[in-house]
Amino acid sequence: VENLGEVSILKASSGFVSTNICLWLLNAVHQPGSHCVCLLLSRYKDLHVYQLEHPTQVIEWTSGKTVCVAGFTSSKNEILELRLPLKLFADENKGLCAERDFKVVHGGFTDAPVRCLRHIPGTRCVVTNDGLSSDLQVWDLGGDDSDVIRRTGSVDGSRGVSEGGSRIAARLSSQPQVLHGAESAGVRLTQLTSGQTVYTLETDSADPLSSLHFVSDAVFLAGCSNGKVYIADTRTSAAPQLSPPPPSSGESVLWWTDASAGPSCLDPSSCRIVRLSSCGQTVISDLRNPGGAVSRAQLDVQTRRCNADDVRVSWAPALDDCIAVSGFSGAVQIYSSSVWTTELQEAQPLFEHRGHAVSSQSDDGVPVFVTSHVWHPERPRTLLSAASDGSVHVWDWVDQSAAGC
Amino acid sequence: RSCILVSIGGKNIMLDCGMHMGYNDDRRFPDFSYITQNGRLTDFLDCVIISHFHLDHCGALPFMSEMVGYDGPIYMTHPTKAICPILLEDFRKITVDKKGETNFFTSQMIKDCMKKVVPLNLHQTVQVDDELEIKAYYAGHVLGAAMVHIKVGSESVVYTGDYNMTPDRHLGAAWIDKCRPDILISESTYATTIRDSKRCRERDFLKKVHESIERGGKVLIPVFALGRAQELCILLETFWERMNLKAPIYFSTGLTEKANHYYKLFITWTNQKIRKTFVQRNMFEFKHIKAFDRSYADNPGPMVVFATPGMLHAGQSLQIFKKWAGNEKNMVIMPGYCVQGTIGHKILNGQRKLEMEGRSTLDVKLQVEYMSFSAHADAKGIMQLIRMAEPRNMLLVHGEAVKMEFLKGKIEQEFSIDCYMPANGETVTVTTNPSVPVDISLNLLKREMALGGPLPDPKKPRTMHGTLIMKENSLKLVSSEQALKELGLNEHQLRFTCRVQLQDPHSDTDTLHRIYTHLKSVLKGYTIQHLPDGTVMVESIVIKVSSSTEDPNTKVLLLSWSYQDEDLGSFLSTLLKKGLPSGLC
Repeated sequence: VENLGEVSILKASSGFVSTNICLWLLNAVHQPGSHCVCLLLSRYKDLHVYQLEHPTQVIEWTSGKTVCVAGFTSSKNEILELRLPLKLFADENKGLCAERDFKVVHGGFTDAPVRCLRHIPGTRCVVTNDGLSSDLQVWDLGGDDSDVIRRTGSVDGSRGVSEGGSRIAARLSSQPQVLHGAESAGVRLTQLTSGQTVYTLETDSADPLSSLHFVSDAVFLAGCSNGKVYIADTRTSAAPQLSPPPPSSGESVLWWTDASAGPSCLDPSSCRIVRLSSCGQTVISDLRNPGGAVSRAQLDVQTRRCNADDVRVSWAPALDDCIAVSGFSGAVQIYSSSVWTTELQEAQPLFEHRGHAVSSQSDDGVPVFVTSHVWHPERPRTLLSAASDGSVHVWDWVDQSAAGC
Repeated sequence: RSCILVSIGGKNIMLDCGMHMGYNDDRRFPDFSYITQNGRLTDFLDCVIISHFHLDHCGALPFMSEMVGYDGPIYMTHPTKAICPILLEDFRKITVDKKGETNFFTSQMIKDCMKKVVPLNLHQTVQVDDELEIKAYYAGHVLGAAMVHIKVGSESVVYTGDYNMTPDRHLGAAWIDKCRPDILISESTYATTIRDSKRCRERDFLKKVHESIERGGKVLIPVFALGRAQELCILLETFWERMNLKAPIYFSTGLTEKANHYYKLFITWTNQKIRKTFVQRNMFEFKHIKAFDRSYADNPGPMVVFATPGMLHAGQSLQIFKKWAGNEKNMVIMPGYCVQGTIGHKILNGQRKLEMEGRSTLDVKLQVEYMSFSAHADAKGIMQLIRMAEPRNMLLVHGEAVKMEFLKGKIEQEFSIDCYMPANGETVTVTTNPSVPVDISLNLLKREMALGGPLPDPKKPRTMHGTLIMKENSLKLVSSEQALKELGLNEHQLRFTCRVQLQDPHSDTDTLHRIYTHLKSVLKGYTIQHLPDGTVMVESIVIKVSSSTEDPNTKVLLLSWSYQDEDLGSFLSTLLKKGLPSGLC
């Protein structure tokens, strides 16, 4: 055994998981640098690690079992629809299912980077934006008769060229529609089949957007990078409500937003908004009182390098008060906001997925950053995360705390 | 089942001869009627090549060679030759003894079949006959698996069998040089998958074993003597050491002997780390893993046992299984595929009550875990292999065409080569550009050079005029005169003459001049000369004018051309028959 390389034991030390022993094994076969993988048998119920040929910045559910990923190089890229391993879903007979691989069920090519990708619910359509202009590309994912994803059209953005590219949102509707925009002034709701704009958001200032979210069929949030959040209703032409940026927000501070999922909120005004800044400050507000703060926390994020494109903050769709944060480093952190108060205090993550940094395939010394993460819509603790080295992980974490989510 | 027929340069080769594990009747065998409707296959095949010992690649071999009939050479690597008969015999026993089938090959047939085998070494060119040569490359996947390069003249094909581009604990990754075959044939069953990492599979395995041991259960791992057993042993040994676990791990002695024996024989087929380890000590000298004795199965408390055979169809693993099946704390981990009819296959399909000999039933209460460790090339692996070998055309087999359009597009775009995906029973014809070496006579070469123009360039085609002589096995390009001389023939020249009548009141000389002017305006780009001897020449065609004796206004044009200018000559005569335009001066 000694010829297979060094092996060492490390006791995990973060917060709730100190009782676990993690096992590190070095890859036995000669590789340029040594590779370590943290097995952490009891930290994860399920763990799957994949390597794409090119990194993705987008992970988007297209069904309960399939996701879309896409490349973002400046030239040719692939859009792939991947089916998650059957083993993940085989709850009763898990032991009898050996299938652990992703299946590429559909694939297509694009000549530009894919910076934003959104699935139109109820259709086999996805809409993408290349981050170079505010225009959108429309794709048909294909059905059973072909595995090729084809471009079927485009949607014009409100301006010719935009620095940040468009954000996109969609919800189930009888006529497929897409909400998009690069800035707050000019967010439009466009009918896909006719190309007609059925609603345009008008705001006093044109603030660059970091996200768009539907909280119900008609109400949506436009989260701006300067921390403002506009709350608008597509049924009226009345001015949108404005939630100003949280106090002590500096000039160069960037903000990202997420809204707790529409369908689970019977009353849109009871939805909550989380705002995360590039310094790690997190503010939770209620739509009933968008200007105020329900709770706050200072997250421990390393802000040395922060690529605005990579940062993601998201509410867990099937867990109460759980938030996932990624993009500041090679980890995805899960926080429980139920213990937060209105006082700004430091918060410790409930769980940290460090797999991307630890099993990094890049050996040129460049640190790995998580580029995207998503929660599974129904399985409470299942997430997918992607990193700058092309890795994609599917993980179901174990909540070790007594007062869990 | 894998069985591919390739016709190349007049040679017929069979690649693999596998059994379809899902069928119980003749559909499990390949349909050899594609080769011939009746009779033996010997006259129709130049050789058979088997890529590795998995039954879906060699399971039908004894049937083909002994029951249908084939007496030619069967090529496979040394490890495949050693392991194939064991698996075939196991498989035969299950099918005939357990399931009572009759139309199946016998033990003697397996032996007779293996007598026809010619073993291959890696990277060694083997001349099957004076035109057909083959070479084996390392494929990874399982011990002894090979990819084969087949060459006839200047045409070649590479068949991959099953291969793997990522090394694992006991096997290296597939490798091939830039051999630029005309066709690369690759399995594409896993082409549309992205594999979960080896680490996660191992994690799952260790987690399951650990959970069982922790609750006091016993874990049975039925294995075939080689391959995965070693990997899993290494894994458990490391884990036991680091976690300081005390439960015993055993492996059956039959396993050790066979494994050690084969590893000694085929050490060059495993990866470098294993080789280093093996040289220093015995493969199975583990601190925590001991030899098994059948009485240990009744010992209380947790333990892990590796036992053969792999599909629980007989022997020690089945005995242990029967003892442990009734306790839900116990576990059986199946690390590979199980053939239909075996207990392994049944429990993997969820069967919880098994009928044993003597009508007794066995309640399966223990936990059944199916883990797949076998490695196949995924889409990324296929792209890597294409990059290595640089084929001119790609052929993907055993995928569903509808599900592979994307991969086909990807290959065509990235490498600018055609990608074919034939279904079973379909024939694909691929045109190749074979280079035909020809000797050219010095005189002809000099003449061509003297004609001027750019110097000969191997990348630019050049049209030339000569005669190709094929004598014995040589090809010679010589000038026509030389060819005629060699053949003792006289050269004949064909010349056409045509008379066209024309009404023209001018003198002969003027008429000729008018003809000259007319042709100059119509036939731009051609060499037209008005010669002092009273003729007009268009290229090499001669035109003369004379008056008819009866009527001086009736001119007779005499056109004369050689065979080479036939087209132009016919054109001129038709043109002149129309007469001359009036506006000429």
